[in-house]
Amino acid sequence: MKRLAHELAERIGDSLVSLGRYTLFTLRLLAETPRALLRFRLVVEQVHNAGALSLVIIMLSGLFVGMVLGLQGFDLLERFGSEDSLGTAAALGLVKELGPVVTALLFAGRAGTALASELGLMRATDQLSAMEMMAVDPVRRVVMPRFLGGVFSMPLLAAVFSMIGIFGAQLVGVQLMGVDPGQFWSQMRGAVEHDDVLEGVIKSCVFGVACSAIAVYEGYHSIPTAEGVGRATTRTVVISSVVVLLLDYMLTAVML
Amino acid sequence: MTESQRDRVAPDARIVRVRGLHYAAGGRSIFSGLDLDIAPGTVTAIMGPSGTGKTTLLRLITGQARADRGEVLVDGQDVGRLDRPSLYRLRRRMGMLFQNGALLTDLDVFENVAFPLREHARLPESLVHHLVLTKLHAVGLRGAAGLMPNELSGGMARRVALARAIVMDPEILVYDEPFVGLDPISLGVVLRLIRELNDALGITSIVVSHDVREIAAVADAAYLLSGGKVVASGTPAALADSDSAEVRQFMRGLPDGPVPFHYPAPDYAGQLFGDELT
Repeated sequence: MKRLAHELAERIGDSLVSLGRYTLFTLRLLAETPRALLRFRLVVEQVHNAGALSLVIIMLSGLFVGMVLGLQGFDLLERFGSEDSLGTAAALGLVKELGPVVTALLFAGRAGTALASELGLMRATDQLSAMEMMAVDPVRRVVMPRFLGGVFSMPLLAAVFSMIGIFGAQLVGVQLMGVDPGQFWSQMRGAVEHDDVLEGVIKSCVFGVACSAIAVYEGYHSIPTAEGVGRATTRTVVISSVVVLLLDYMLTAVML
Repeated sequence: MTESQRDRVAPDARIVRVRGLHYAAGGRSIFSGLDLDIAPGTVTAIMGPSGTGKTTLLRLITGQARADRGEVLVDGQDVGRLDRPSLYRLRRRMGMLFQNGALLTDLDVFENVAFPLREHARLPESLVHHLVLTKLHAVGLRGAAGLMPNELSGGMARRVALARAIVMDPEILVYDEPFVGLDPISLGVVLRLIRELNDALGITSIVVSHDVREIAAVADAAYLLSGGKVVASGTPAALADSDSAEVRQFMRGLPDGPVPFHYPAPDYAGQLFGDELT
């Protein structure tokens, strides 16, 4: 029992130390941001890597999530005789919640793992040490563009996800289930406020910072072995997913 | 070099000076009072069996690790006490060749060599082009400028890394096990390059290696490390003729001697036929 308590205390201590390191690293990234923006070409390259290359998976997922939302929403609203509100329900669900959250989870799986494993392999193959030896700070040259690439990509990807999702909901609701198209679009336009869109944008920006910081932290600090890189990749997905869901609850509670 | 000989060398004639170096990692002592001097313009070999801390010594000289005690002076500056900007200023005067080349895998050969220039100097593109091609020509790989690192052999990757290491015209060039895994032709090329670049560019070269014959052919001076200290130093020829059993075992590659063939173990017969299983 005593040993169990000791181990538990040790675990909690380790977690707090990790949290502190994460916070310091993220603060350093934020402090380096203005300087990194001056080398915008490097950031644009990473927006391409993290964002453009994730587009297909985001669009496909958005379409299917929207279609499911159309089916489920229609089934639910039909019970209250208000299936014409399907457009509003789908748009609000996607813009405020599903768009930012599902995009962040997919981003962690696609771009986050790519970032972590790339940085981990750079560490394992001495590329980061070589930069240090060339008097080039790897955080400024390698980590920052990747971090900012992720931060800029997330809201853009979330917007694409929501847009395609609404199209998917329309496809099922209007084309398949027979909801009136005029009602679908006009109710949506009438009910969805600027603040709703802003809520989604704020969420996806926060998720962008969190997911990118986690991915670059795990990759940059990975143990320079095959196993270490694998572990960093797994930790990126697990930690990002939990943090996104936790932050989602906190942000929703604050903004509602 | 004996202690008295070492002390006779004028202090300014030592570009690298290590005194009383103590360093431990992972609870294991690696250096316990290491002394070492490297004269400018020479090729100095640092040799020793695997696990003696040769690469660690390079990391200490280049500021990638910090000594627990003692001094590591490079051009008069104590590397372990430098802050980051000062360390980076010093590193701009150094080049390092990593064991595997450590080329940046997302850049082609030309851009790898151009990398330090682009990061540190705002030069016109024509000048970058000129400098990079000159350095690639020096290592015989001007024709490979457009290749990606994954298209290079091990020897070629190391030569490109060498071109990158000299593109900023360093004063000190550090090689970490430059011969590991090379075929005889590539090995000969790298050996020749170490000597030629050293002489042509007036560089001080520090080569960590356990390939005795290869390094003896190009080095002006050699240090043999063992047990956290320098056990012998001098010209490679003097080391080869040493009376010390430890030096002789290493230089001649004898399987048994002061460094035993067997890892410490309990009595053989007792372990085979007794109850003791481990």
